[in-house]
Amino acid sequence: MTLEEAIAEHVQNGDLIGIGGLSFWRKPIGLCREIIRQNKKDLTLCTFVGGIEVDMLIGANCISEIKACFVGMEIFGMAPNYRKAIESGSIKVSEESEATIALGLRASYLKVPFMPLKGIIGTDFPKVRNDIKQIVDPLGSDVQVMAVPKIDLDVAILHVPYADEYGNCNISGAVWMDDDMAKTAKKTIVTTERIVETEDIRYLPGKAQLPQQTTTAVVKLPFGAHPTSCYDKYTFDASHIQAYLNMNFEEYKKKFIHSKSHAEYLDIAGGSRMILDILL
Amino acid sequence: MTEIARDYTTDELMTVLMAREVKNDDVMIVGVATPMVWAAFTLAKVTHAPDAIYHYIMGNTFVIEPRQVSLLYLEMNTARAYRFQNSCECTLESLPSDKLTTIEFFRPAQVDQYGNTNNICIGDWKNPKIRLPGCAGIADFSGFYSRGSFLYTPRHDTRTFVPTEKLFFISGVGFPEGKPSMCGGIGPQCMITNLAYLNFDDKTRKMKIGTIHPGVDIETVKNSTGFELIVPEGVNETTPPTVEEIALLREKVDPLGIRKLEVLAGKEREDLLDQIIQKELAMVNRFPKSLSIS
Repeated sequence: MTLEEAIAEHVQNGDLIGIGGLSFWRKPIGLCREIIRQNKKDLTLCTFVGGIEVDMLIGANCISEIKACFVGMEIFGMAPNYRKAIESGSIKVSEESEATIALGLRASYLKVPFMPLKGIIGTDFPKVRNDIKQIVDPLGSDVQVMAVPKIDLDVAILHVPYADEYGNCNISGAVWMDDDMAKTAKKTIVTTERIVETEDIRYLPGKAQLPQQTTTAVVKLPFGAHPTSCYDKYTFDASHIQAYLNMNFEEYKKKFIHSKSHAEYLDIAGGSRMILDILL
Repeated sequence: MTEIARDYTTDELMTVLMAREVKNDDVMIVGVATPMVWAAFTLAKVTHAPDAIYHYIMGNTFVIEPRQVSLLYLEMNTARAYRFQNSCECTLESLPSDKLTTIEFFRPAQVDQYGNTNNICIGDWKNPKIRLPGCAGIADFSGFYSRGSFLYTPRHDTRTFVPTEKLFFISGVGFPEGKPSMCGGIGPQCMITNLAYLNFDDKTRKMKIGTIHPGVDIETVKNSTGFELIVPEGVNETTPPTVEEIALLREKVDPLGIRKLEVLAGKEREDLLDQIIQKELAMVNRFPKSLSIS
């Protein structure tokens, strides 16, 4: 399956999309760029810690709502399109903490409407989230807990270093929310640095953290996480992130997103010199 | 007799003070984009807390070995783990247990006299003047820690230190209305700033001056705080860093000065960022250097 087919077939306008990775690490940027090219609309994004991918999708007007516990450009600064969109009221925010996302996905996995959480009591979260409620333990202790709702993803989009043709995926390094997203989403689209044989997956540490039965489509896309990192292949492209922040988004989109092919994108983004810089 | 350093910068003083809070049996939680905290924990690890364990939120991993602070190759540090988690486990395992004592530093955009914090927005939540990146796990964990939570900011001013009514959103719990949180933690323990070491009064739970940094006077600290700060009788001066602490920090723990990115602003910050990126790209071995524990 090609990148174009994967997005055209599996992502619909209005979907709740889970994005794997964290911050500047192992984000499925190739898939996000394709979502922008296909001009998908009205998506709700759910990601643990969002960065440039959330900012790009917001800048391209693909998003109507965001569920994330942090969206920023890390030590490089704030995410400009994210800020602008919320400050102008053009997208909705579902205020999340780490645990409301982690447990929301866990609730979906368990097929229960909510999970009890002992954090966030005393914060202003319940004031801005009318789907969160403080309740007393229904089993009779007097403990107060917060009921946080399940998060049922329509599609999970993930990038991994290794996958086989059946969709068994191995992640070197941190897994983050990727496995819970893959397990609970109705569809899971994966891009991978390398296609390997199933036998190879057996010998990689952790084997298939994402097993084939949870993967809907696999697309080979080397450097598919650029400008974010993909351990143990390459780190994030700091110069590209700086360039992103110094450019008008329309200009960025024209130059880097509407390029014709992935190869052409990598060329414009610095080519072999850039690749040698980011390779670990 | 340990020799006191004469020449140090604010970021170095703050990093050393944060390092001194770490105990040898702590699990040290390193969050996202907080190089000063990472440098502090690593300094603690190579000085007085050799057995402390890193818990990298960005890697969802537990790591024993201390390595040099890095910007580009942070994943290399976190991936050298003895335990991997997914984010759900990471979130749940960060919650205090009877087995672990946890230390985490939060950097609030706003803080009130009770140590309640805001990292969500400036202005009304529905129509914010500034949307901040978010609080990540602060909402989950601030009320929980049995060792308490720890706060820091290099911007001690009346924009950061505000009375409760000017705190636009409570996204981290301190001592709400002067009481410990319902979640069982003992509440915020200290606030380390560029001007002073602040802590909390045992009775009223309001913020008070612990010590003031060398060269700073009490009036400056009070005037830089947007609520009435408790000033105890006979406030002492903060014990400055030692020559050894400063040398370790500059030469071993964070020779590229990545921690300074948390303190600097504008052009100065951009220049340092460029410099760090260029130096790290030039490294042949991209594993940040292992540090020995003394």
